[in-house]
Amino acid sequence: MEEKVQKQRKHQQKHSGPKAQKKKLRKQAGAADGDERKRNPKAFAVQSAVRMAKTFHRAQDIKAKKHHIPVVDRTPLEPPPVVIVVMGPPKVGKSTLIRCLIKNFTRQKLGDICGPVTIVSGKKRRLTFMECNNDINTMIDLAKVADLVLMLIDASFGFEMETFEFLNICQVHGFPRIMGVLTHLDSFKNNKTLRKTKKNLKHRFWTEVYQGAKLFYLSGMVYGEYQTQEVKNLGRFISVMKFRPLVWQTSHPYVLVDRMEDLTDPEKIRTEPKCDRTVSLYGYLRGTHLKNKGQVHVPGVGDFEVSDVDFLPDPCPLPDAQKKRALNEKERLLYAPMAGVGGVVYDKDAVYIDLPASHVHQQQEEMRPTTELVQSLIDTHATLDAKMAASKVSLFSGSGTMGPEGAGEQSGGQDGLQEESVWDSNTNRQRRRVLFPGDEDDGSASSSEDEEEEEEEESDHDEESGKDLSAFLKEARGQSEKTTAGGAPLRKRQRLEETAATAEVPAFADSEDELEVSEEEEDEGQGAGDSGNCSEEDEETEDDDSEEEDAAEDEGKRAKEKEMNEEEEEGVLRWKDGLQQKAAEAFLRHQEAAPNLRKLVYGAVLEADNSEEDEEELGGLFRVSRPQKSRRVQANAVDCSRFHPDTTHDWDLEEMLDTIRDCFVTGKWDDGQDAATLLKQDEELYGDFEDLETGEVHKSQSGQEDVAENTDSDEDGEEEVKVEEEVVQRNKRLEKKRRLKERFDAEYDDGDATYFDDLKEEMQKQAELNRAEFEDVDDETRVQYEGFRPGMYVRVEISSVPCEFVTNFDPHYPIILGGLVSSEGNIGYLQMRLKKHRWYDRILKTRDPLILSLGWRRFQTIPLYHIEDHNGRHRLLKYTPLHMHCGASIWGPITPQGTGFLALQSVAGVKANFRIAATGVVLDLDKSVTIVKKLKLIGYPYKIFKNTSFVKGMFNTVLEVAKFEGASVRTVSGVRGQIKKALSTPPGAFRATFEDRLLMSDIVFLRSWYPVSVPQLYNPITSLLLPVGQKDGWSGMRTLGQLKLDLGIHNKPNQDSLYKPVVRAPRHFNPLHIPKELQKALPFKSKPKQQQAKGKTPRDLQRPKVIREPHERKVAALLHALRTVHNHKRKKAHSVQHARHKEFLQQKEKDEEAKMKRQKEARKRLYRVMGQTEQKKQRSSLKGEQKDS
Amino acid sequence: MANQGLSYEGCNFLRQRLVLSTLSGKRVRIKNIRSKEDDPGLRDFEASFIRLLDKVTNGSRIEINQTGTVLSYQPGLLYGGSIEHDCNPQRSIGYYLEALLMLAPFMKMALKATLRGVTNDPNDPTIDLLKTTAVPLMKRFGIDGEGFDLRVVKRGMAPGGGGEVVLSCPIRRTLKPVQLTEQAKIKRIRGVAYSVRVSPQMANRIVESTRAVLNQFIPDIYIYTDHMKGANSGKSPGFGLTLVAETQNGCFLGAEMSSTPQGQGDPILPEDLGRNCAKLLLEEIYRGGCVDSSNQSLALLLMTLGQQDVSKVLLGPLSAYTIEFLRHVRDFFQVMFKIEVQKPLEDERKSGDKVLMTCVGVGYSNINKTIK
Repeated sequence: MEEKVQKQRKHQQKHSGPKAQKKKLRKQAGAADGDERKRNPKAFAVQSAVRMAKTFHRAQDIKAKKHHIPVVDRTPLEPPPVVIVVMGPPKVGKSTLIRCLIKNFTRQKLGDICGPVTIVSGKKRRLTFMECNNDINTMIDLAKVADLVLMLIDASFGFEMETFEFLNICQVHGFPRIMGVLTHLDSFKNNKTLRKTKKNLKHRFWTEVYQGAKLFYLSGMVYGEYQTQEVKNLGRFISVMKFRPLVWQTSHPYVLVDRMEDLTDPEKIRTEPKCDRTVSLYGYLRGTHLKNKGQVHVPGVGDFEVSDVDFLPDPCPLPDAQKKRALNEKERLLYAPMAGVGGVVYDKDAVYIDLPASHVHQQQEEMRPTTELVQSLIDTHATLDAKMAASKVSLFSGSGTMGPEGAGEQSGGQDGLQEESVWDSNTNRQRRRVLFPGDEDDGSASSSEDEEEEEEEESDHDEESGKDLSAFLKEARGQSEKTTAGGAPLRKRQRLEETAATAEVPAFADSEDELEVSEEEEDEGQGAGDSGNCSEEDEETEDDDSEEEDAAEDEGKRAKEKEMNEEEEEGVLRWKDGLQQKAAEAFLRHQEAAPNLRKLVYGAVLEADNSEEDEEELGGLFRVSRPQKSRRVQANAVDCSRFHPDTTHDWDLEEMLDTIRDCFVTGKWDDGQDAATLLKQDEELYGDFEDLETGEVHKSQSGQEDVAENTDSDEDGEEEVKVEEEVVQRNKRLEKKRRLKERFDAEYDDGDATYFDDLKEEMQKQAELNRAEFEDVDDETRVQYEGFRPGMYVRVEISSVPCEFVTNFDPHYPIILGGLVSSEGNIGYLQMRLKKHRWYDRILKTRDPLILSLGWRRFQTIPLYHIEDHNGRHRLLKYTPLHMHCGASIWGPITPQGTGFLALQSVAGVKANFRIAATGVVLDLDKSVTIVKKLKLIGYPYKIFKNTSFVKGMFNTVLEVAKFEGASVRTVSGVRGQIKKALSTPPGAFRATFEDRLLMSDIVFLRSWYPVSVPQLYNPITSLLLPVGQKDGWSGMRTLGQLKLDLGIHNKPNQDSLYKPVVRAPRHFNPLHIPKELQKALPFKSKPKQQQAKGKTPRDLQRPKVIREPHERKVAALLHALRTVHNHKRKKAHSVQHARHKEFLQQKEKDEEAKMKRQKEARKRLYRVMGQTEQKKQRSSLKGEQKDS
Repeated sequence: MANQGLSYEGCNFLRQRLVLSTLSGKRVRIKNIRSKEDDPGLRDFEASFIRLLDKVTNGSRIEINQTGTVLSYQPGLLYGGSIEHDCNPQRSIGYYLEALLMLAPFMKMALKATLRGVTNDPNDPTIDLLKTTAVPLMKRFGIDGEGFDLRVVKRGMAPGGGGEVVLSCPIRRTLKPVQLTEQAKIKRIRGVAYSVRVSPQMANRIVESTRAVLNQFIPDIYIYTDHMKGANSGKSPGFGLTLVAETQNGCFLGAEMSSTPQGQGDPILPEDLGRNCAKLLLEEIYRGGCVDSSNQSLALLLMTLGQQDVSKVLLGPLSAYTIEFLRHVRDFFQVMFKIEVQKPLEDERKSGDKVLMTCVGVGYSNINKTIK
């Protein structure tokens, strides 16, 4: 062995001599690949133009295939945590893996993995782990929200059905990244089987996912955990992984809920335990922007209208941007409220502190940046009854409130009566709106608009309240600081009800709204100094809808307009005084105007609806009847898009004309675009040229001047000026060069840029614009414009949720809020392309209920299968084809075309075989269907003329016939015809003509198509509402077959369809009758023989039977016995004889053989001798001849 | 399904509401339609509009109560195809066409609509104006291609009507976002002076007087005269003018004026009409923006229905109709526009205040279009 391992001695290479020279030369030549072509150009010449074109095309095709249609990159700057779904059959090690990964990233141990667990894994990445249990509902839901799937496979067992089912689910709903993880590898004792199994599993996995998909091996357990190094490696893989955007996920907002609170009034629950609940759901928003008041679907529960959305401070924020490699301990956050981890959780109006005894100190440490806020909240521990007492009813908005006395402990901080009332009405109206002080302001502003009485008072009022608020805030914070210094006891899971005062924390104050307040003050002060829009707004509030006032209003406006103009003129005069100041002013005004116009259009943004609702609520007691104010336009005015301006300008005046002079190309241009400057620049560029014919050199003006100047300066000897000139010159030249280069680039590079590049650049630009547009707007305002953006931690409030959702809540099942975009909440007919899954062992029957997973939804519906005929007709099929696509039409939720779906026959329990029955894609949405089935109408002729027949039995009335006049009919024998006209009697009979004469026995039929209607069953699967532990037991409508099986009904088959023994009556043939004439003419041979059959022998000819005497019988018996004995003897003798003869024959044969052998020997010997003699003779003759010669 | 729908009052903005309802798939209920008037309920032209809507959709449910004061509309899917509709002559075809243009790109099949009725009247945008301003605007959003065409086959003036218009519009799955933030300078002015059943000289007189006003600004003016005769001239006499100013970056600002309908009000001289129309165009230019006042809502709708990207459009002052449209857009699509007022600098002679409208599209995709 050692010898083999020992390296063979290498051949000594030559370093000198002709061989080495040659080699060196070759090496040098080989370095440049192009030399080959140069040296042997013929070999690389174009042999065939066609082939060259082909190769070129192919290369281009391959290049083009790599392109994807570029899409605008809409990923948010701070993306939401990556959803990692850990999936696998039971007992494969899912929870252990999650636990290990969490421990790896955060150094914390987690007991039971309930619900999503969010952790910070790196400086730029957060991860949300979610365990997927073995229920197919869960698998479907999680496949739709997963970014990465960790697919655990028990290597000791191999692949299980769940794995393949999950892969198929993923394929249908967009394919997230999938990473396989092999566990239980330590159960292999034999190293070779381990290797083999790994390889087999890997290749099978590759065929399912893609060639080269990552499969991770977890080799074994150490103290019930996976090996640290392996987990670390897996963690690294996860934290650098890139994800592809999936179509459905990028076009819909969704939230993987990690917290749920029941907001229903406890009293209501007490009196009516089954009442619909109001819940708030929390989670990171993913996908795309979520709009407030939109529609969402919660898979497993149903569709809901979102009653409110808010964003909360991130409970698991990414670390602040700092230049360092790793996270420190404080930044390794873990957030899993469902699993009971997460410490302080915020709500809109409350803070929950969950403090496990051992973690108290640590949690406090972690939440350092926000403790200030928390502590400011802690001093207000209001119990429920205090809260109840604090809530007051105000009969009229703006009036005092009625409520139990002495309840207002918090408002006790304020002294003035006025403030209190304002305060209370506020708390009364919007107790839940706490984090948005600006909106509060808006609300009061809007209400002030509503009141529309004395605006001045109102605004004063506002002002005061604003001041009071800030004053109170300071006070409150001071108090809170004191109390915290005193050491507020921390209680476990303590709900801290905030008063509205503490709610007005300025941390989230809306700068814009502050602006609004200030601007309102300004309105009071200045009046006219505002923009036209502002003034309009003011009037608007005063406006009384009566049309008489409109004229006055117009006048007022005109006056204001004039004032404005005057001001502008003044501005022109004062123009040069203070540009900066001017700009600042313009900016300020601009700032003012923006929210103002916004207010004009949208009203006070958020509060409008709420205040209306509240009024409605009060209306239950007293209905306030007042004319509709603040309606800009008459509700019943003429619907016209024409803009009839309030102020018409007099376009006969010269000044007026001057105002738009610059709107035309003939007007003055900007400096950058002015023709004169542009021309000058061009002059500089192309000024110098040489007339080639004359040899005259034209110099540009400036150059000449420069030269002149230079000479001057030389003469004068002013060195400094010269240097300066040099610099200027150089700069000019540089500039010139740059411009020339730009021009050149534009000319030559543009040709190179393909359409694809242009498109990509366009998308890039759009993405930048998207990012930049709302970058510097604060979040409050921003969410109003673009909705809540992905990455935000949102709180979604949903009302009227079935109580089972709360009572049967199980954190192990994922709750997903899937946002629906416009009209996805509607129902209609869907036309889809469907194919039975090749692993599903039965075909699907039309009209059998089927469970579909489509979009966010899972629902049961009744599909009709059909196939498209060559003429575009959709013909109904009874069953799905075996290995072919077919169409399916269902009644279901409108979902965009191109969305994939999968079908199941049942979601209950676990079955051994593959559960996914079919997959497909939505093709078309409609409100009607066009499926037809074949219908043959049958009739019988009752009177037949030449080619015309009267047919009855096909229709029942003349009217029916009239509808089918001109239709083509056919008989079974294939004779074609046409329906002509109805006959009066019998009803429904008609006259038809055929291409041939019919027989009375013919059957006439008419082929027609009968439209089929799709049954309108849409039954959403409500698996989350089922009791805990039975959540995988949802069963909906049963199929006909199941029903029959369950009820024991046997199908009564059609008697005609049964198989019966074939009974054939014996065929009776008549005798052949040959006419006499023919008989005569026939030759004798062919003539029928006139032989009579032989009859019975007559009795007299029959011989009598012999009856023996006893003696004779005895003799006969003896003879018989003797004969038998004799026979036996003879037989025996014969057999002996036979055996002897056989022996003899054998002997004889042997002898013969021996003889033959002997003879053969002899003959052989003889022949040999003969041959030898012959040879001798020949040889001797040859010799003799030689001798002779 | 938890789709409550929206509720409104009064007959104003009926078109907006129904169009937005159809596009968003939300139900809408309109109450108190002229309930306090002597002649309550929907008018004939509104009924005609609803009928048109029924023709282009499939599966919409429209319920109107006995007196016609309550209308509830559950939208179906936009079907399109070739339709014919006799529009009520109380309003011109422009009334119907404005709404139809909003719906046309989102049909199942490319729309080819033949509308008959009044083509030109003083109240609504005429076909010529829509053709010269709305169609190029829509092209900006990626709705272009072979079949996009608006054609006047016959001209019918109010009150008699008898005109015929053919609109064919291709379908699109998604719209492009636009950035129309620069108001470029106007490079040319074009126009159509039309006359039917009056002396063909009328049109020439209009052109003369119009040029007199506009020549102060720009020499590149061409006003076509369009005199229709015989079968193509409708039932009533009349004349009018449509002017369009084209800017360097392809924005169109339009203004128009029609003669008062026969038998209604004082007749107008063609010279006055030309002058007044020119002044209207100047007014429109004064307002400025990249979209003229009558197409503001169309532009805003197409911005709303774009991809989830930022679109920006510079408009002149918002009309009342547009403001209401913005509110409706918020109701139906939950989209709010960022509204910024741009004031001209003092030394500029570039007309009045502008409004920069910015929004993020809802990511609307045509759910009616079939894929094969």
